[in-house]
Amino acid sequence: MQRSAAAVSVEVKQVIAALCRLLAATGLECVPAPEHFRRAKFGGGPAVEDQFWQLLANIQQKCGFVSCEPRSQLGGATELRRLVAAGLWQTGYHANWIYERGGGEGGEGERFSSKDLLLALGWLLATGTLEKLLTQRVEQLDKTLILTPSPVNHRLSTELPLDSASVRRLQWLVGSLRHQGRTLLSMQEERTCLLHAVSVASLPSSVSPSSTDQSSTLLRKQLCDLLEAYLNWRQVEKVFWTWMDSVVDGHLTDPVHKKPTVAPNGRAARCHHGYCGLEKLDDMLLRLPTRQKGQGRVREAPEGRGEGGLLQGRSDSCLPPLSCPPRLPCCPLAYRLQTERPVRHSSPPVDGDRGGTPTAGGLSASQAVELLLQTEALLLERRGRQRLANRTQLQEMIGRLDELVLIPP
Amino acid sequence: MSVVTVQLGQCGNQVGQQLLHSLLCDAQDGQRNELCTASRERFFHQDTHGELVARAVLIDMEPKVINQSISRAARSGMWRYGETSHFSQKQGSGNNWANGFCVHGPAHREVVEELVRREVERCDRLSGLLAMMSVAGGTGSGVGTYVTQCLRDVYPKSFILNHLTWPYGTGEVIVQNYNSVLTLAHLYQLSDAILVHENDTVHQICSQLLNIKHISFADVNSVIAHQLGSVLQPALTADSQGAYSRNPLGELVSALCCHPEFKLLSVSSIPQVPLASMAYSSFSWPSLLKHLRQMLISNTKMEEGIDWQVRPPAAAERSRSLTSFNTSLANVLILRGKDVYSAETAGFEDPALYSSWLSPQEAFSVWKSPVPFNKYEKSATLVSNSQALLRPLDSMVGGAWNMFASRAYIHQYTKFGISEEDFLDSFSSLEQVISSYKELR
Repeated sequence: MQRSAAAVSVEVKQVIAALCRLLAATGLECVPAPEHFRRAKFGGGPAVEDQFWQLLANIQQKCGFVSCEPRSQLGGATELRRLVAAGLWQTGYHANWIYERGGGEGGEGERFSSKDLLLALGWLLATGTLEKLLTQRVEQLDKTLILTPSPVNHRLSTELPLDSASVRRLQWLVGSLRHQGRTLLSMQEERTCLLHAVSVASLPSSVSPSSTDQSSTLLRKQLCDLLEAYLNWRQVEKVFWTWMDSVVDGHLTDPVHKKPTVAPNGRAARCHHGYCGLEKLDDMLLRLPTRQKGQGRVREAPEGRGEGGLLQGRSDSCLPPLSCPPRLPCCPLAYRLQTERPVRHSSPPVDGDRGGTPTAGGLSASQAVELLLQTEALLLERRGRQRLANRTQLQEMIGRLDELVLIPP
Repeated sequence: MSVVTVQLGQCGNQVGQQLLHSLLCDAQDGQRNELCTASRERFFHQDTHGELVARAVLIDMEPKVINQSISRAARSGMWRYGETSHFSQKQGSGNNWANGFCVHGPAHREVVEELVRREVERCDRLSGLLAMMSVAGGTGSGVGTYVTQCLRDVYPKSFILNHLTWPYGTGEVIVQNYNSVLTLAHLYQLSDAILVHENDTVHQICSQLLNIKHISFADVNSVIAHQLGSVLQPALTADSQGAYSRNPLGELVSALCCHPEFKLLSVSSIPQVPLASMAYSSFSWPSLLKHLRQMLISNTKMEEGIDWQVRPPAAAERSRSLTSFNTSLANVLILRGKDVYSAETAGFEDPALYSSWLSPQEAFSVWKSPVPFNKYEKSATLVSNSQALLRPLDSMVGGAWNMFASRAYIHQYTKFGISEEDFLDSFSSLEQVISSYKELR
């Protein structure tokens, strides 16, 4: 990730342009120009902020996070910002400003900047909003698509019987579903072939297009543009997230965060949700197992949590995917164990929860190492026992065979 | 929706040719437009001259059998194999699974994959791949297993059905049990379903039911082709909505082999009579189905010598293992011929026939076709995923284990790269299969 700044900035601009094209292709009306992204990163001012408010509102509206038409509401911009904040909150983005400003209004910009909106956008993109928008748009454009019904959420009883018959039955049903899936796939492939044949056969007729032909050609072109924009974006997405990383970095090192965290009204309103949100976002960027978020707290130097830990994590590019189940739940991964990170700048403890000594549930590096060693010894012992048992069983089996001499391998 | 047949080794090429021939002969017989079209689309395509060309790939390490199969098909005047859809070498695998799997298979992987790919691309929609081979020899079993592995890699979402011919228990090849164990253990991981014909059973059918005096491989093959053909010829299924099913392998696998531990299928057909006496025989559905049901539960592969004493166990006796009763996991009954819609199949829907964890509605399906098959006015075929193959499998694994315990012929395998560990792995996975089937109740 260490590239020359100039090369990166050129590349980033193109990548953001690709994103903008894709966003526009998904049918969003208020997509800011790529230049606004850059300005947003460095606190672009009300004009830029406004653009991002509009964009976020537009996205949320399309995705159905907010149900009503924000711009038609009384109160205009304020109302729109409230709705955006509420929508973001619903998607799990719990930044400080959502709480403090009552949806972006109020505490007059001392802590809030366009960077926050950029991060919120990053959050939405990282949580799959883009794909949602894309799917919606494709469904609109592609008339040949047979909409698959949304999967029914079968609630399984919490008291599942665990006898072997039930397990076997379950395995059978899973297999049956898998076979059905394959059959459906092959049907889909056949349909694709046929559609292709039809569209190829109907091409010559487009020489004298009727109005319906024209509209369907237009739709098809839009669809192609959309899919192409998405493919282009997917190829360069990585650069965008690297850039987003730098936004997060900037946000964390931002001087506004070094202000005392006591709210003006005196109550301990400084909630740590903002940091959770950031942390979550960062974790998503890094594709870290979410479990480690908790372990991020286990740091001897509380200031290290924000910078040291995250930076350390970031330098590791091949991390386990989110879905990867942690084998030893209480053992943090090695790169998280380097606790003594040099702190780039000092900042006061963010809140009481983070300050002070490690919490009771935490682990120091040496403890973790010890625990790992113990686990290893336990597993080795278990393996040994299993091997012995297998050997005995094998010998018994051979013993039962008449007139047979075993020559062990 | 088509099936690409992959014929492997001597046995696979002979049986495959016979199967395609009988399928086409049956489909050409008389006025059967709909079935005929469906069957042809399934197994053949038409070349530019309108000639029927099999959707098949022939693979052997020796040219002799392939040439025979190709010329036999061409001589029929009804169909032929694709001119370039075969691959052979000069040197066989010497009845050595390891030679086929580790040497010949990998050496010719690209050619074989290319041949199959060409056939697959010719299909509007691939229903699946049917790989036919024996388990005793070297090429069919070794190369066949390797090719199945490649097919699984290349077509991960397609259905792959392996048709296996099991050798005579008395022995055709000294290391047949080794080859069989290695083949079965590997295929169990790769294939969606393994349909088995035992030479011993088929031989008995030839001698006792068809009254053939000097039984040749051709006779054996034609019995196998008859049984297999009655399964694969188009039929009306529950999913096919009044038209001939277009997804034969998918439906067969979905009906019978959804559980990864149970993939062994056996086939039994009724009636099977000599061609000469067919004119004097008449059959009724109730009697045919009664016989077939008893054949199923008493695990008899012929309508002669059925043990009528065997009864399904009552619910209370379920936990005890009754050695003579054959418990089914799932069955597909295929009925073809006159008055097929009047046939009463309730006898197969008895829950006592099946394992306790699968209801008869899930475990039993019927396919029907009003068109008679292979000159039989009425015929019924049962494809069964049951304990029927437990005994031969057990003796096969036992035989191989006895040899392995004294390390007989092992060096012939290790020199090609199959280690004793590989053998042990195969043994343990087949022991698991055996124990799964044993505990089926």
